[in-house]
Amino acid sequence: MWCKKALAAVLVLFSVLGCAAQKTDSKPTISVWHWMTDRDPAFQELAKKYEALTGVKVNFELYAPSDAYSQKIRAAAQGTNLPDVFGILGEKRDFASFIKAGHILDLTSYMEANDSAWKNSFFPKALAVNEFAPQNSYGINPGIYAVPIDIMTIQMVYNKKLFAQLGLNPNHPPKTLQEFLDTGAKIKAAGMQGLVSGWGEVWMIDCLANNFAFNIMGKDKVLATIKGEVPYTDPDWIRVLTIFKEMKESGVLAQGLVTMINKSAEQLFANDKAVYAFNGSWCVNVYKGMNPSLEYSAMLPPAASDKYPIAIWGGAGSSFMVNARSKNKEEAVKFLVWLTGQDQQAYLAAATNNLPANRNSLSKIPEVLAQFARGMDYATHPNVWGVSEFSLVIEAWDRGIQSIIIGEKTPEQVAEEVQKIKERELAKKRAQ
Amino acid sequence: MKNPLYYKSKKILVNTLIHIFLISVAITCLYPLLWMVSSSLKTQDMIFKDISLIPHQFRLENYVLAWKEGGFGRNFFNSIIYTVSVVFGIVIISSMAAYAFSRLRFVGSKFLFVMFMAAMMIPIPGSFVALYVLLNKLHLRNTPIGYILCMINVGLSTSIFLLKTFFDKMPKELEDAARIDGCSKVGIWWHVALPLAKPVLAVVIVFNALAVWNEYILALIIFDDRSFMPLQVALQSFQGEFVTNYPLLMAGLTITALPIILVYLLMQKYIIKGVTAGAVVG
Repeated sequence: MWCKKALAAVLVLFSVLGCAAQKTDSKPTISVWHWMTDRDPAFQELAKKYEALTGVKVNFELYAPSDAYSQKIRAAAQGTNLPDVFGILGEKRDFASFIKAGHILDLTSYMEANDSAWKNSFFPKALAVNEFAPQNSYGINPGIYAVPIDIMTIQMVYNKKLFAQLGLNPNHPPKTLQEFLDTGAKIKAAGMQGLVSGWGEVWMIDCLANNFAFNIMGKDKVLATIKGEVPYTDPDWIRVLTIFKEMKESGVLAQGLVTMINKSAEQLFANDKAVYAFNGSWCVNVYKGMNPSLEYSAMLPPAASDKYPIAIWGGAGSSFMVNARSKNKEEAVKFLVWLTGQDQQAYLAAATNNLPANRNSLSKIPEVLAQFARGMDYATHPNVWGVSEFSLVIEAWDRGIQSIIIGEKTPEQVAEEVQKIKERELAKKRAQ
Repeated sequence: MKNPLYYKSKKILVNTLIHIFLISVAITCLYPLLWMVSSSLKTQDMIFKDISLIPHQFRLENYVLAWKEGGFGRNFFNSIIYTVSVVFGIVIISSMAAYAFSRLRFVGSKFLFVMFMAAMMIPIPGSFVALYVLLNKLHLRNTPIGYILCMINVGLSTSIFLLKTFFDKMPKELEDAARIDGCSKVGIWWHVALPLAKPVLAVVIVFNALAVWNEYILALIIFDDRSFMPLQVALQSFQGEFVTNYPLLMAGLTITALPIILVYLLMQKYIIKGVTAGAVVG
């Protein structure tokens, strides 16, 4: 008897819950899916402003963490349930596969309307990540397929308080590699930690090595190496590897750097325990949370040569796409135009400490953010090079730098090992 | 023959080593919990500056903020509904199925049982897209009923395995006696098998309650409407891509952990007995 009653109760509960799902709302709304937890309150605030301004309701739906969000987007794409506006996390080939499947609207005509007013409001390098060039290797029609919401650059930061303690000028960070290496002796003598970074997550080593490579041999030679036309045993590449050896020997690198994760590096720098950090512009928000009174500034990585300009990695941080199948796509584009406007971008930057994608919003943001944003003039990113290195070569290169830092291998040995892997991968590719 | 002092010293030494080992294990288990509670009472910057477990200032308002900012009220209620419904569904279906697999002889019973066991081998994340598409076709996506059915399905295999192993070892004479007293097959399942299976049922309840209470990825994929989301999804709102609000996250985790610790404490006396009877003996 009890069992029957319980079963009946569950059936009633199921029916009630089932009915509860049927919601009707005649008011037209734009639905936006995102994963950016730290930006959600600011997005909600902007949605309210937009509704007050236009009468169009915008629903920002947060689905975090980012890996679960990615699964949701893929599942929704399979079921053609994507919202009006969404973002894709992943590599450019993932982006291309969504375009090929007809999920993403080509925004080129909207960007180029009114003498390209919308297009020109962005940092060109922020748009480049969302753009497919003519004859791209993905087979996508050339055009712009996403709107950058913010940008990021990866640079160096230095602790002004520790700089003063070392007898260095806090307003003049080292500009050349030699000046940078010279600070190593002072850091060592004071018993401080030098440069911290997430070099245990090896991609950040790759990032700094690339900065030096662009500076020493220029973009064309770097790309020629990726294409297989220049070997890694070239003296310029050995010079890049040697810089890491010199940094280790000078004492400018923190102990345990090769196995350090970025969260630990951020904690050390935020607590005045490291003089330098190599980090992305997101660190402004991280440091603010860890130590609001931290005194620091951003600086470009020191130049190892005056032959070519220094280059740093940067571009679009987060981007939004419009669902090509959405019945609200015109409204969605209008909303994105408004969201990336000067005032909205300045508000987002101030509220979230992310760099604005709109280049006209820079005057309204804190100085340290503006320093990171100015780095966009030097920005490049592997996603816009048009060629990509074999992942095995990148891995061997990054691991090789780690072994140089711990004194296990010489730059020449690492260069030879990397070149062997490169030749093997090239041979495999030719055989296909 | 060694002197008694030798045996006494040996016993003390062995006991000391065992206790050191057990205390070390207990500390490694308890320390994260203590850190969670301690961090839930600190400010964000104090978490990184002050490593002591006892905060200098107790910020109890973190709990109020976590409850409000995470929207815990609605999500807490949802989690309770999902956990109760799913566990009830799993207990009823798996105990009936396990009893049938153990006692009834029908064509294809072994094949069906193997199929259920094979389902245990499939990692749940691997089936997310397929489940999404299926629920979409059945018009059950973004509905609590769709989520509850999926979660019942997820928990069935292990529960059937545990209960069948127990029923296989149950003396048949008890059922014969019940049959003589006029019990039907359903009556025997209800009046004889289920009361005897209490320890295994306790394990099934605790394991599945834990799984449902802690689940969030499937919920995140199936639901578009935040008002249907369980508690664990609300916790994610404190964890950003680069920045995590540790005090509120830890306060939220403490709130989240309390109900499941309570369930575990209530069922504790059955757990060891149940795991031994259901899983190990079989």
